[in-house]
Amino acid sequence: MNVLLTLSIAATLALFFGVLRLKNLATPVIVIGLLASLVFNAMEWNNTTSIFNDMMLYNNFTVAFASVGLFITLILVLFYSELSAKHEFHLPEILAIMLFGTVGGIVLLSFRNMVMLFLGIEILSLSYYVLAGIRKQNVYSNEASLKYFLMGAFSSGFLLMGIALIYGVTASLNLNEIAGYVNNAKGIVPPYFLVGVLLILSALLFKVAAAPFHFWTPDVYDGAPTLITALMSSVGKLYSFGAFVLLFNSCFIPLIADWEVILWIAALLSMSVGNITALYQKSVKRMLAYSSIAHAGYMLLALVGINNLTSGSVLFYALAYALASVVSFVVLYIVRDKKGSYDIASFNGLAQKNRMLAVVFTISMLSLTGIPLTAGFFGKFYIFNSALQSGYYWLTAFAVINSFIGAYYYLKPVVAMFASKSDEEITMPALSNSLLILLGILIILIGALPGFISGVI
Amino acid sequence: MNTIFQQIPIEHYITLSAILFCIGVLGVLTRRNAIVLFMSVELMLNSVNLLLVAFSMFHANPAGQILVFFIMAVAAAEVAIGLAIIVMIYRNLKTIDIAELSKLKH
Amino acid sequence: MNSDLSSYFPIALQFILAAGFVGLTMFVTHVVGPNLRTRKKLKPFESGINPSGNARQPFAIKYFLTAILFVLFDVEVIFLYPWAINYRELGVYGILTMVIFLGLLLSGFFYIIRKGALDWDQ
Repeated sequence: MNVLLTLSIAATLALFFGVLRLKNLATPVIVIGLLASLVFNAMEWNNTTSIFNDMMLYNNFTVAFASVGLFITLILVLFYSELSAKHEFHLPEILAIMLFGTVGGIVLLSFRNMVMLFLGIEILSLSYYVLAGIRKQNVYSNEASLKYFLMGAFSSGFLLMGIALIYGVTASLNLNEIAGYVNNAKGIVPPYFLVGVLLILSALLFKVAAAPFHFWTPDVYDGAPTLITALMSSVGKLYSFGAFVLLFNSCFIPLIADWEVILWIAALLSMSVGNITALYQKSVKRMLAYSSIAHAGYMLLALVGINNLTSGSVLFYALAYALASVVSFVVLYIVRDKKGSYDIASFNGLAQKNRMLAVVFTISMLSLTGIPLTAGFFGKFYIFNSALQSGYYWLTAFAVINSFIGAYYYLKPVVAMFASKSDEEITMPALSNSLLILLGILIILIGALPGFISGVI
Repeated sequence: MNTIFQQIPIEHYITLSAILFCIGVLGVLTRRNAIVLFMSVELMLNSVNLLLVAFSMFHANPAGQILVFFIMAVAAAEVAIGLAIIVMIYRNLKTIDIAELSKLKH
Repeated sequence: MNSDLSSYFPIALQFILAAGFVGLTMFVTHVVGPNLRTRKKLKPFESGINPSGNARQPFAIKYFLTAILFVLFDVEVIFLYPWAINYRELGVYGILTMVIFLGLLLSGFFYIIRKGALDWDQ
């Protein structure tokens, strides 16, 4: 609860500093708010608290997921305020909306009532609709925002219909009571209930950008400002998957026979559609957008055979993916700022001009591919392990083949960086430079010592 | 007290909501004007509201009506953001036909 | 069935009275009032200003902005209803919560004023 309050107050203060001619104070307030909420979040460890008569429950699952979300948000806020500040008139508002989105995300990680599920998803999505369209004069940003908004509102409709049908059968919106109903029913529930579960499932698949509902992803990720895309693909995915695991883990496990087929079809489709379409992209940004669909597919793999390994492996994978994706989008932003294009050709000769950028970008691409000694490898390892435990042998084999396809397109910009030559200088601001190095070291460190994170939940 | 609303069988409410919901879904899938799309989404949300209130009466449980309050408030916020986005697009492109919004495909 | 319907009788009466009043007033003015048709009287009424141009023209974007803000603040009022119904049961706690809620809403209002969203001449 302290975390939510701190974030909201910091964001509101930043908004007011923005309009009271104290713009310089806005960024420090946001950063302090994020740091304070990281501390408050850590203090909730092993201290399960129920908030507002069981509307929310702050437990270790929440703390673990939220600390990753808060950390990545902090990093992105720092990047944004250093790299983008010169283009930006509305900086306090943008940073404040990022924080409001985080509030929605943390609600999604701690809800115990369908009302809070709906509110969390809406707070998160409404912030992202605005952030996607934050470049008001840019037609691409406009288009991304409208598409995201219309499709997001559409999927919210499905989510609500699902909640309403489940409420109609169980007469309760409380997750514990719904779980009690499902357990008593012993796998035989009225068709209304099943339709409700399927509607909620499709809405959540939409939010995590998984395959049959992925059509908005490339356009939105491509059109939104690059650092915002980094936010949406890293923490946005983390929060949505957290909600997914939380909801299905607590309520719908006895009905697994009814929904696992849909989930593994979605996982299969996401992996193949994401990876195969990414092969044909010339723009690195669009390639990363398609690859994020494929990563959603890998993460669904852990959910297919839901077991006690699921939340730990999803957390690890989300962390590894978030680190690598933040690094790759930030480097892409810097390259695009100099060369004016997202094409793979823009990366030509980067290794000559700025060795640090090239090395960090290579590390992030290797991590996204899943090469050993990077965080991405253990992310995939735990996910596949979890799927194997539930007996999904051939689905795991398919995922392994898919990772090999991924290697091909991830290494294209890397090859361009090291193989070709270029004359343009690329210099980096000091803070972003050290943050990138920090992230690169973290990816390697987590890859070398995975036990730190994997044993947490 | 047995009111007239409770004498209507719950199935009728479900059918009505399902029909309204499907009209909304079809509207979103077939229309091209962003504002009309938007109204279709609102229709979907309102059909859910109707269903929630009906279930709430049926079970004599107020939780559903509380959710309806929240849906209405959030839908208003969504309207505000949606209209702001549409106005922003109209200023830049002088159209709100989503079929013409395909710059990103190329 | 009848006993249930009878509880709606006052509402029905209200409807009948309202419709009856409107109908009666319109009928009486039509009969009693002098019926003069002049050019000026048949023109659309624009609060005393001479009408100009077509009514179906796009209007300024600032109407949209004000309308959007109105919708937001208008709908938040629905949260007052459950509080008003349970006013006695919730007591001081309820009042404090509502003061915080309305204070936040008011701070939003302050924000849009400072932001200049309601500046008509801008």
